[in-house]
Amino acid sequence: MRGGSTLNEKLRAGLKRSIMELVLLALCCILAFKAPGFFTTDNLLNVLRNVSMQGVIAFGMTMVIIAGEIDLSVGSAVAFSGCLAAWLTGYLLSSQGWLGGPMAVVVSIIASVLAGFGIGCLTGYLRVRFQVPTFITTLAWMTVLKGAAELITKGFSLTPFPEWYNFIGGGYLAGIPFPALIFLATFVVIQFLMSFTSFGRSIYAVGGNAEAARLSGIKVHQVKILVMGIVAGLAGLSGIMQSSQVMSGSATAAQGWELDVISAVIIGGTSLMGGAGTVWGTLIGVIFLGVLVNGMTLMNISEYWQHVVRGALILAAVLINLAPSSRK
Amino acid sequence: MTAKLQTIGIRKEYPGTVALDNVSVSFDGGKVHALIGKNGAGKSTLVKIFAGAVQPTSGTLLVDGQEVVLRSPRDAFAKGIATVYQELSLVPSLSVAENILLGRLPMRDGWGGCVVDWPQVFARAQAVLDGMQTSLDVRTTVAGLGVAQQQIVEIAKAMSFKPAVLMLDEPTSALAQHETQNLFRLLRNLAEKGVAIIYITHRLQELPQIADTVTVVRDGKHVGSIPIADATPHTIARMMFGEVIRKERPTDLQAGTEPVLEVRGLGRRGKLHGVSFTLYSGEILGIAGLLGSGRTELLQAVFGAEPFDEGEIVLAGQPVRGATPARMKDRGVAFTPENRKEQALVQCLSTRANMCLASLDRISSFGFTTRARERAVVNRLIEQLAVRVHDAEQAVSALSGGNQQKVVVGKWLNTNPRVILFDEPTRGIDVQAKQQIFQIMWDLSRQGISSIFVSSELEELLEVCHRIIILKKGTLAGEVRPGSVSVDQLFVQCMEQ
Repeated sequence: MRGGSTLNEKLRAGLKRSIMELVLLALCCILAFKAPGFFTTDNLLNVLRNVSMQGVIAFGMTMVIIAGEIDLSVGSAVAFSGCLAAWLTGYLLSSQGWLGGPMAVVVSIIASVLAGFGIGCLTGYLRVRFQVPTFITTLAWMTVLKGAAELITKGFSLTPFPEWYNFIGGGYLAGIPFPALIFLATFVVIQFLMSFTSFGRSIYAVGGNAEAARLSGIKVHQVKILVMGIVAGLAGLSGIMQSSQVMSGSATAAQGWELDVISAVIIGGTSLMGGAGTVWGTLIGVIFLGVLVNGMTLMNISEYWQHVVRGALILAAVLINLAPSSRK
Repeated sequence: MTAKLQTIGIRKEYPGTVALDNVSVSFDGGKVHALIGKNGAGKSTLVKIFAGAVQPTSGTLLVDGQEVVLRSPRDAFAKGIATVYQELSLVPSLSVAENILLGRLPMRDGWGGCVVDWPQVFARAQAVLDGMQTSLDVRTTVAGLGVAQQQIVEIAKAMSFKPAVLMLDEPTSALAQHETQNLFRLLRNLAEKGVAIIYITHRLQELPQIADTVTVVRDGKHVGSIPIADATPHTIARMMFGEVIRKERPTDLQAGTEPVLEVRGLGRRGKLHGVSFTLYSGEILGIAGLLGSGRTELLQAVFGAEPFDEGEIVLAGQPVRGATPARMKDRGVAFTPENRKEQALVQCLSTRANMCLASLDRISSFGFTTRARERAVVNRLIEQLAVRVHDAEQAVSALSGGNQQKVVVGKWLNTNPRVILFDEPTRGIDVQAKQQIFQIMWDLSRQGISSIFVSSELEELLEVCHRIIILKKGTLAGEVRPGSVSVDQLFVQCMEQ
């Protein structure tokens, strides 16, 4: 029995639970002294903006991994979404129908996000109906979507967007980068979804023990399909932000993002076994990676070293994660 | 002739209990010895002692008349005692031959002794299989084999040690009828070669076909060993149960007259055949039957957890179409599965989360829920069911079996059920917790909530239920009232062909 824990034990448990927060804090302190220009409002907002596009997906990925699944196709889905939006915008603007002007862009955005959502739902459906592991399906999507993006753009960058489109990925609202606001809003929504809705609670149950969940009358199939749809939909949203930032749809965008996104989730303490993890942890993980990259760049550490450090970090995070009585 | 394996006055104490008390048994070579007893009678402790996995507190063990001390499973192997456990331990992706000789593959001479001699591997494995007079291709991978053939590979692996004693723990639990026959033929062959076979089983109907002698343990004591010719169902029942003090259920419990659940002609290929019964309001209906009689399958079919091929389920007069757990839950049916850990609980979540598992929609409004809201519901249940947990946030995996079972029951009470299906709710929990589970069923009955209670412990059924139906090979074979039968009479009814 673990009743009546001493102050010491409580302190240790608390320390363990918030280890990533402390590590992030320590990193910031070090960089404040060592990295020129790190601790300025501009730079910190810059960090937020830089992580926002991958971060948006990371929250969805948290749900997916807690549900006991994975999505490897998010990088390609970002490129596909950006290209689809660009192509559709260009098509609608040139066709001069009633969907001209600003409406063309709005429709393109919605269609791209929905396309992502639909693709994700299909992955989820294949998972629950034919027991195809999401690892495999999304690996296939990774290639298919990349190819589809190339087909849409015919290998070029599409640049049909009007000037104001840049606001989504590059604008500021009340002095804060707009993409950072999208990122934080997504955090709030997903955090709420996971903690305060029956759907969110079901995700933990499904990932922790799908059979027990099924026998408790939880609609396991629905949960898995929706979760896969949400992460792909968020990848679609991220694609909009990305294409807005660079004002073009390009098939080569967002390559390798899936690894960054999954790393952030794992560093945030989500268990790859499913059933355990927090959206808050992912927020910390995303910011941690962003701060690290930013700091290393400011300190003029070569990109090659950055890769090595990030890889080592993932390993370290998993080791901490696997230690007994790790964060819930 | 000296016995292959013999014990003199074996005693095994665990903190607080005596698992085996002065057990003196002997097993001759060339025969198949069935070892039977109720759950917790001491069978498995005895087997573990033979297998070297557990050391006796006192007493002697003799192999071929020589006193031995088995400190580890390796010792037991060296003394010629091999065990085939219920869970198969094969590597699916490897060949039959490699599995049989796993960890002991013959090597080529030279090459530093690190190159596998494949012709030798196959030849040796083939020799083992030939010795067992079975035909299996040693080159096929185990993954492509059925359970029965995998079982043969497992036995071949044990036989490759050339054991004098072969123990099998419930080897037929996963086998179909004809596969069981093949296994029996194989065991006969081995016995004829002089091996002493110790066969642990719950399927007592198999005994006449396979066993030469029957050894019964009860409450940690050796009740007796008799030749199979003397082992009538009545004798076995008497030996297994002894004198049972009949316990009565509270006198105020009355089953209603209003039908709540009607099952009509339920059938599932190879599992259930035309099962029909009616459950009345507030009634506790027991289902008796030996292992493999279709008890669990029946509950699963009623709950929609497994499909059925024919028949109908009627709830409160309304037929149910396309039963799924989610739909049955909405219609007021609850189910506590027999494998608590694997099927009922999410081990990595808290007690609170597990208790809310089935009623998330009920607790939340418009899909929204809060921890405070969940906690209010959960705390009430923890109090009502007397769950021993110091905090609702405690991980459910840290609770004792009895308390885990209460969490599972609590999870379902939350859904406001009319019928609760209990599949072996008392398995692996202590006496006090069992009584509390019974108390819960009785309380539910007083509130007009009906229960179906499946248990291997027939005494429990007689103590708790209003009425007991008997399943045999997936068919309904009778119905009894607890007042009118004794445990051994009920047992005989379950067993007779």
